[in-house]
Formats: sequence, structure tokens, C-alpha cells
Amino acid sequence: MAHYKILGQDPYWMNFYGLMILTLIEVLAVGADLNGVAESLGTEEKVITLWILTIIAIPKFIMIAAIFMHLYGDEDSGILTLTALFPAFFILIMVLFVGLTHPNAASSLPDWCRPGNYGL
Amino acid sequence: MSAGFAAFLFTLAAAFEWGDFIGWTEVPLILASLGVVFFGLLIWWRQDWSYGVDGKDSKHLWEPKSAGSPFQNIDIRKVALWMFLMSEMMVFTSLFSTYMRYRFGIPNCMTVFESGEWVEGTAVTCFEPAAHLIASSWFHIAPGAINTFALIISSFTIVQALRYAKMKDIEEDVRKRKVMRYLGTTWVLAILFLTLKMIEWFIGFPTPGPLTDLNHGHSEIASLYAEGYTINADSYQHYAYDTMYHDGKDIPKDSALYTMLQEGTHPGGQMMANIQVSATTFYVTTGTHGAHVLGGIIGLTYMTLKAARGGYTPDNAVSIEYFGLYWHFVDLVWVLVFPFFYLY
Repeated sequence: MAHYKILGQDPYWMNFYGLMILTLIEVLAVGADLNGVAESLGTEEKVITLWILTIIAIPKFIMIAAIFMHLYGDEDSGILTLTALFPAFFILIMVLFVGLTHPNAASSLPDWCRPGNYGL
Repeated sequence: MSAGFAAFLFTLAAAFEWGDFIGWTEVPLILASLGVVFFGLLIWWRQDWSYGVDGKDSKHLWEPKSAGSPFQNIDIRKVALWMFLMSEMMVFTSLFSTYMRYRFGIPNCMTVFESGEWVEGTAVTCFEPAAHLIASSWFHIAPGAINTFALIISSFTIVQALRYAKMKDIEEDVRKRKVMRYLGTTWVLAILFLTLKMIEWFIGFPTPGPLTDLNHGHSEIASLYAEGYTINADSYQHYAYDTMYHDGKDIPKDSALYTMLQEGTHPGGQMMANIQVSATTFYVTTGTHGAHVLGGIIGLTYMTLKAARGGYTPDNAVSIEYFGLYWHFVDLVWVLVFPFFYLY
């Protein structure tokens, strides 16, 4: 179990409170009318919502992995964190080169990205 | 067990086509493969059932350590579990990247509707995010939101179960009771999660009378199935894709459809959409996550029963720790599934 405290309190309780608050913000962000904010930033409400959801998902992800899954604060946390990060390369490949491509990717890629144009 | 599980998935997939059951001949194989899985579980649990109960034979409780670099002196089972979780991460990454690929590659149904590039009676292929239905009112989003809180609370209760199992300065009976209660609470929350998922997918629920205004005046929240959001929906019709809905007041004035309707170059009507891809990515991803929750429920059932026998002591609490890692991972995946599949 954890040998440290967060703000002088039990880390698991603090983590739990933090996660509950962040989730509440997520749900409220979806229900809230963000049209005014979106217009002032020159974009759509959906884009603002997506940014809020993404920004909140990152600390939630880290809080669960670091505190609940003991990737922080234990003797073996370092090597297990490296193990956990191992698929990051795979995730990067899948998200960037599969997830974010589009039907015209093969024809609209810059020349230097296409076969036979490596400048060799 | 792994072979049985693989055979189960293979035969189950062979028995269905576009959501319709077609393969009675596969049923014996499905049952046989399930039998192999449960026989494996039975053997495993039979060996574990008396292990470390009430601290008996605590001198003989033994957890093998890794000897080689880089995991020297770390429990082998813990390392193995992390390896398993990382392979699981790759599975979910594949599902996420597939979702992103189609989400960005196929035009959104609302965009197609507003472009006016459709005619009534002919289906157009477009991407209809489940969030269009789920995030349309506070009532629609309620099951998913409650599930999110349920999973976070269950992540906390499993941590508490481990904390009490490892606590040395409490009486045996108190420890037994606390561990059992926290594991039991986790089990109840997991059951709640799947129940709400079934309600959201297949059943729906009535809106409380005085609050129907918050649900656009409707007295019932229809399930996704009842809304026609299915993997074989090639002629999906949503009320929002009707030029007569709200007398067309919802159609943006700067859209091509609005201009066409004003000029009389578009006949109007209700757009029909082929949303098989979007529904499939939604059900496969959230269903895979739900299957993990179901697996957790099976494990929790056994662990709660064992906890009632005093099976978890400070010398023998690693099973809760390792199950906890798996359960937190399930929560972690939901942290990403919920915003991107349910809210956006």
C-alpha cells in the first residue's frame, strides 16, 4: 500500500475525490451550453467539448494508473511504469497512422512520404 | 482455458451474421468450449479455495519472485499481469484507432443532412455517433454517467479491500468482514454497470412524470435498439434528420440544405442513413469493455466467497492486488470510452 500522503491525507481517498470531481465536470461539460464560448473562439461547440473531455481524460488516466495501480510510490513502480509504457509506440502507430488517416491519405501525402521519392 | 475461450469466441462469431442467429449447428461447440473454460476455472479455484484461509499454513504461503533482469525480486505473477494488461491495451488501441479512422473518414450524418446531398427513400452512408442519441438529454446520458461513477467507486472499494486484507493490527473477524464487504460492494457495482448497459442498449426506461419536459416532452427513454441504432441499420431514420421536424426550425440558416429548401431545389423529407459502421464500432468497443466487466464479475464472485471464509490475510492478499490491477485497467479504458463514445 502507499507510503506517502497527498496534501497530508490518505492518497486513495484523495484520488477518489479527485476522480469524482473530474467526472462530474465531464458530464456537466457535455450538458452545458458552450455556444457562446465556441463563437468567441471562432469554432464549434463540439470542438470545445472535445477539448474539455480530452484534457480531463488525461489526468484521470494518470491518477488511476499512478495511485490506484501503484505506478507511483512503490519500490517496483519505476520498472513497472516502463513496462506499462512499452505499448506506447504501438499506440502511437495505431492512432497516428491508422486512426488519423483518411480515405485520400495515400494520394494526398506529400511527395517525400510516397514510395520512390526518398531522395535517394 | 485460453484455448476454450478462443474456441468459444470463434464458434460464437460463426453462429451470428449481422446480429441474426444463423448457426444452430454451432451451439454444441459453443457449449463445449464454454465447458472447457469453466472446467479450467473450476480446477484453478479448487486448488486456490483453501490456500491461505484464516492464515493457516502462513509459513508455507509462497509467491515466486522473478530472478532475472529487469524484474529482479518482483513477483512473477505481478509482472505477468502487467504484460497481460499491456496486451489488453493493444487490443483496445486497435478498437480506438478503428473508431477514429471511420469517425474521421466517413462524413457525419448531421453534416450530410445539412449539405442537402440526399433524397428521401435512398440510404446514404454516414457516421452517426452514438453520442447523438446518448448525449441528447440528461436522462439519455444517465445510465452512462452513473456507470462512470460506479466504476470509479468500485476502483476505490477494491483498493479498500486490499488495504484491509493487508492490515495487521486488526482482529481476524473484522478483517474478514471488511474484505468481504468491500469485495461484495465491488461486485454489486459491477452488476449495476452491466445492468445499466443492458437498459441503455436494449430496454430503455420511463421518464419520471414531472420531469418529462427535460426529455423533450417524451415519457420514455428509448433504448439504442429501439431507436434503430443497430449493427445492421442500413435504413436508419432519426427524427432530427427530417426537414419537417420542428417545422424545419432546427436547420441552420447558413446550411446548404436551408438554401436549397428556400429556393425549392430540394424536395425535403426525412433522410435515410446506412450507419452500420458507426454502430458496429460503438457496440464492438463498448461490448469488449463490457465483456471485461463480465470477466471481472466472475472473478469477484469467487473472491467474495473466498473472503467470506477468511481467505485473504496480510500474508495472502496478492490475489486482491492482482485482480485490482485488472479492475483498475477496466476503469482506465472506460475513462476513454465514456467521453469519446458516449459524450462526443
